[in-house]
Amino acid sequence: MQLKTRLSYIAASLLCVMHLGAENYVNVQFIGYDEDSGRTTVLTPQVEVNYDYGADYTVNMSFGVDGISGASPTFYDAASGASAGSRGTTTQQNVRYGDVSYDDVRKFVAASVVKRLESRDEVTVGLNYSSESDYYAGEISAEYLHYLDSSKNSAVSLGAAYQKNAVLVHCYNGESQCDAASGSSQRFDIDVINAELGFTQVIDKNSLVKVSLFGGREEGFLSNPYMNVVRNYNTLPHITEERKPDTRTSYGATLWYARSVTEKLALIGDYRYYHDDWEIDSHTVNLEANYNLNSRWGVGAGVRYYTQSAAKFYSGKKEFFTGQKYASSDRRMSDFDSFTYKFSAEYAFSKVLQLNTGVTYYNQPDWFDAIYYTIGVKRSF
Amino acid sequence: MHYFMIAAILFLGGCSHIGNVKPWEKGTLAKESMQNNRGNRLLTKFEKHVYFSKEASKGGGGVAGGGCGCN
Repeated sequence: MQLKTRLSYIAASLLCVMHLGAENYVNVQFIGYDEDSGRTTVLTPQVEVNYDYGADYTVNMSFGVDGISGASPTFYDAASGASAGSRGTTTQQNVRYGDVSYDDVRKFVAASVVKRLESRDEVTVGLNYSSESDYYAGEISAEYLHYLDSSKNSAVSLGAAYQKNAVLVHCYNGESQCDAASGSSQRFDIDVINAELGFTQVIDKNSLVKVSLFGGREEGFLSNPYMNVVRNYNTLPHITEERKPDTRTSYGATLWYARSVTEKLALIGDYRYYHDDWEIDSHTVNLEANYNLNSRWGVGAGVRYYTQSAAKFYSGKKEFFTGQKYASSDRRMSDFDSFTYKFSAEYAFSKVLQLNTGVTYYNQPDWFDAIYYTIGVKRSF
Repeated sequence: MHYFMIAAILFLGGCSHIGNVKPWEKGTLAKESMQNNRGNRLLTKFEKHVYFSKEASKGGGGVAGGGCGCN
């Protein structure tokens, strides 16, 4: 009887490993993003390859290209046209707020390796690199995941990432930190360190929860070179580039929960609290539902609510800034809410070939909205 | 922040029966439907990029993977 029970356990474990185990696949996605009917459009083909070397290693690689064209709203001097470089002393009549156009191509590549130790603890090392015409970012990350019990129902993880960014700043009007003599672009660095401590708990065979604490530190040129502010509007209006502090420290916490309600329906919910020393507080609530109609069709829906407070150096008013050290009229630094709604569908042609499509609507009330479409295919091998 | 931690501790502390799941009972937990965007990393990455571009907060998405013990 004991032998029979043990054999059935082994058989069940083997089935489990076959089901849960490794997956080798190629995932190709095309995403089209359209903001306010053409203000900003992004077209991005992306490819991901995941490969398991035995039970101990998983290698994941992805790459893609974003073709970006559009416009970004900021202050400019109407006398010299709508551009981010349209700065200098002007008149009240010539202070305008509107879209300045830009085009860019962003390329990115990412790779990660997961090594499972004899204890089945996991070590993950990742590399990321992306480039735009005036921005470069490289990142290295590492995480250790330790299971606290033999059934692997509880785990703690500690991860950290270091990012080195370089931003090229054009010397519009020879102002500020730019080299007025050469008039050429200058390179400024941004160093970013992020860390996260997580605790994952399997609650029962249908639900899972994860709690994490995270923190980050940024140092360097944190201003947006395309964003302007107006100073001394009431006396001698002067349009100049925004200036944010050179450091930023942030921290927060997340709570993530997933539950299989029925054999076909799974619900996922998460909450994030965020705070930084620019005095931005934010709350994010995200809910997703995935429903498998049958063995071939699956559908999904999601809703997300986000709210943030304004940075201490933000004002959207042209009359506000005079001699303050830090000044920004970047709407992303303001207090606002946003809503996201998404729907998706997935169709399995076979056990190894899946097609997915989806649409996501993003809205910041009284400011802008965006919609993006995805279509992709995943081929297992 | 403090309220969040208290809620999390109470939530986890109140579940005294948790964690009694055998490895072969984790089939449901390993389903793609139990992950955001059905586990499609490219979609999740793009989604994060949109939020990063349009909002002032970041972080909390993890620097690597999960940990349901499914592998």
